[in-house]
Parts: sequence; C-alpha cells; structure tokens
Amino acid sequence: MQIRLTVNGEKRELEVTPYTRLLDLLREDLGLTGVKEGCGKGECGACTVIMNGELTASCLVPAPQADQAEILTVEGLGTKDDLHPIQESFVEAGAVQCGYCIPGMVLAGKKLLDENPRPTEKEVRYGLSGNICRCTGYAKIIDAVMMAADKLAVEGSDSSD
Amino acid sequence: MIRKSPMKQEDKQTISGADFEQYFQPQSLEKALEIKAEYEDQIEVAAGSTDLLVANYERLHEIANWLDLVKLDDLKKIEVRDNKLHIGAMTTHLQLMNSDLVKENLAVLAAAAEDVGSPQIRSRGTIGGNICTSSPAGDLLAPLLSYEASFKLQSVEGERIVKAEKFFTGPKRNLMEADELLTEIMIPLRENPREGAWIKVGRRKALVISTLTLSLVLEFEADKIVKSGLAMGSVAPTPIRLKEVEAMMVGKNLSELDYKKLGQEVKARINPIDDLRGTKEYREDVAVDLMVRALNEIERKRG
Repeated sequence: MQIRLTVNGEKRELEVTPYTRLLDLLREDLGLTGVKEGCGKGECGACTVIMNGELTASCLVPAPQADQAEILTVEGLGTKDDLHPIQESFVEAGAVQCGYCIPGMVLAGKKLLDENPRPTEKEVRYGLSGNICRCTGYAKIIDAVMMAADKLAVEGSDSSD
Repeated sequence: MIRKSPMKQEDKQTISGADFEQYFQPQSLEKALEIKAEYEDQIEVAAGSTDLLVANYERLHEIANWLDLVKLDDLKKIEVRDNKLHIGAMTTHLQLMNSDLVKENLAVLAAAAEDVGSPQIRSRGTIGGNICTSSPAGDLLAPLLSYEASFKLQSVEGERIVKAEKFFTGPKRNLMEADELLTEIMIPLRENPREGAWIKVGRRKALVISTLTLSLVLEFEADKIVKSGLAMGSVAPTPIRLKEVEAMMVGKNLSELDYKKLGQEVKARINPIDDLRGTKEYREDVAVDLMVRALNEIERKRG
C-alpha cells in the first residue's frame, strides 16, 4: 500500500507493508539513521521522532498509520554546520557519551522547550522521561536542555528587537 | 550479538508493499464494523498500536489481517451529552490528560492518563486500547471503575452498553464478541462535588507497568460522603471495584472514618499474585498504605 507523508519538510510517497514500522521506513527507505532502534518496544526512546507535533516512539507506529503525517527527525532540526541551539547546548554541556540516545533526547528537549520555554529542572526530567541514556549521563543532558532554554530565550529577545 | 531485524529481507521480497491487500484503514465506523464482522477474531485491531506492536515484536509479518481505526475521527471526540461525558475510544492518553472536560469532571482519570508510559506512549496509546487490552495493570481501568463508566460495544447487528465492572473477565480477557468494536466510553456526571485520589506504585515514575494502583472518588453533600467509588489495579486477575469497602464510607464524614481499618478491609478483599513487579505480601501491605494515603489526600484537598 502507498502512503504519503512529510519528513523534515519534504513530501514523500512510499510503498509500505503493515510490518514496516515508521522506524524502518525512516532508517531503511529514507536513510535517516539518526533515528535509532534501542529496545524496539517503546521503552527506551532512542527511536523518538516528532509526529504531527507530538513525541512518538517510531518503533511502535506501523507505517500505514503514518499516512498524511508530518515527521521531524534529528536530521531536520539542524545540520553539522548549522546546529540547532539545542544541539549546540548538548555539545557545550558535554552531554554526549556514546551518543546513541542523543537524537531522541534532543527531540524530546525540543518538544519540551517548544511548549515550555522556561522549564524547571523537574519539568525537564518529566519531558525527557520517555528517553533512557544507558551511559546514565542524565545530569549533563538535563544541563544541556536548561542551557538551550537560556540560548533560545536570548535569541527570542534578539529577534523581537 | 546481531539481532535478527524484525523486517526481514525475504519478507520484503515475497510481499511488496503494493501487493499487501489485507490492511484495512476504513474511513467510516460502518465500514469498520463490516470488516470486523467478516474477519471476526482473524483480524488484529490497531488503535494506537502501542500494545499491538510490543505484543507482536519481531513477528509483525505474521499478522495476516489488520483493521486500523486511526482514520475514524468520530471516535476521537470528548463531549457532554445527556449528563454524561462521552469519550471516543480512539482518544489518546495525551488528549485525556489535557482535556478541560476530563480534568474538571474526572480528575482521577486525567491523573491516571498522565501516569501512563511516557510522552511517546501517551501521544499514541488510546483509552479504547487500554480497555480492550484488559490488562489487570491497565492504568485507566481502576479510575473507570471508580467513576462507574460504561462502554458502548458496536457490531453490524447493533450496539450494547456494558458496565465497566462487568466487562473484564480475566487477565487480558473481556466479554467482547468477535464481531464487536468498542466505540465509546460513557461516564455519568454528578451534581455534587467530588474529590478523588489516584496512586500508582511502580519501580520508576515513567515507563513502568504498575505494581499496584488505587483510584478513590468520593462524592460529598456538605461534609457527608454520599457516594464512593473505590477500585484497584494489579491486585487481582482483573481490575477490581471494592463495593463492600465503598459502602463502609457512605453516609459518614471523613472525620468519622478509621483510615487504617479501611486499609485492612481493602487488604482482605484483594487477591494479588507474586510476579516480577512485586510479591503477594508486598502488594497486600502496600494496599493498606495506599488506602490511607488516598483518604489523607482527599482530606487535604478538601481542607
């Protein structure tokens, strides 16, 4: 069956089976390997994408359910030469150890800051609660999201000048 | 270790996407019911898919027939009709926890929805899926019992309304017939003020299957409890309503209740098992504490 969806701003039409998961579609058909498979059961958050504006475990979405959806993966957030402020903050805070969880963490951070630009540490923990870091580097990941909130606040005030 | 990919190359070759015909994504409930009537239990119903894809991990390709309800927008509404709150079965946990109607009238259900899984799960998982999976640990189920919810089951033959407390028949079992779909959850609204408590015990705050849950809703006239809804999850083969303990609270003021004794009455009426999330003994002891905590919380909120 054929589905249509928008991935990182680009319209796509793809042939899928129901046992293609959104995760498989993004990684194998579209080559977006920033989407990681950890547990494959929705428990680790490594496969997190933003689907129709909401955090979603792409390993738990049969591709046909993504028909007409709008998907954002970490590749759509920033590029190597032009990092998103959240990505910059992860680098500056030293929040990356093995790195496997980071695309999911970055997207969970983005979703949180979109809704709540000045979160408390507790709110950051809640916003990231669906993402596991098995290096256990949580402290710096939380620092990075708090730092990104500061950066985005400054940018926001700049642009309103 | 190299794990076999759930999407195997050979499957891709035998059935290409274009050839796959047994995936139904109907645009109308009528069509969905016709498909369910035709395939009965030979078809997997997909709502948010958060249980379905976990249960069928690495063998998704073995599912021959799919009935995907995701395009049935009529089942995603929350509205008030006939003094009842009607919640469409395809409403997500995220929609429940953010709905003003739910927060104002069914605070315990909203709180339970907020404790389901993680943000990634709440955005996809549905109330209908939680009910139809019928796990004794389903987080929304104890609150639905407390609020005396009933469920609308539809088939091509017609519809029937089943009370939540009659619906669950065993672990992951319920009384739905093979040709039926759950379409709506109905919860009576009340004139009197209600106060409630929701407590979930698990090893972590997020992404955890409950070790036990307790949902208590009390309805007051002045300070007198005139109605009580008490239910628990993960303490018996199904989520259970504790009607005898409810009756012990009705007609009294909170100040007349012996919280600890009520906790013991709860303990006497549950039937938990030992499993990897907790022992029978642990669950019995904690059940006492949860009842005390719930009553304390309600007392504080009414403070």
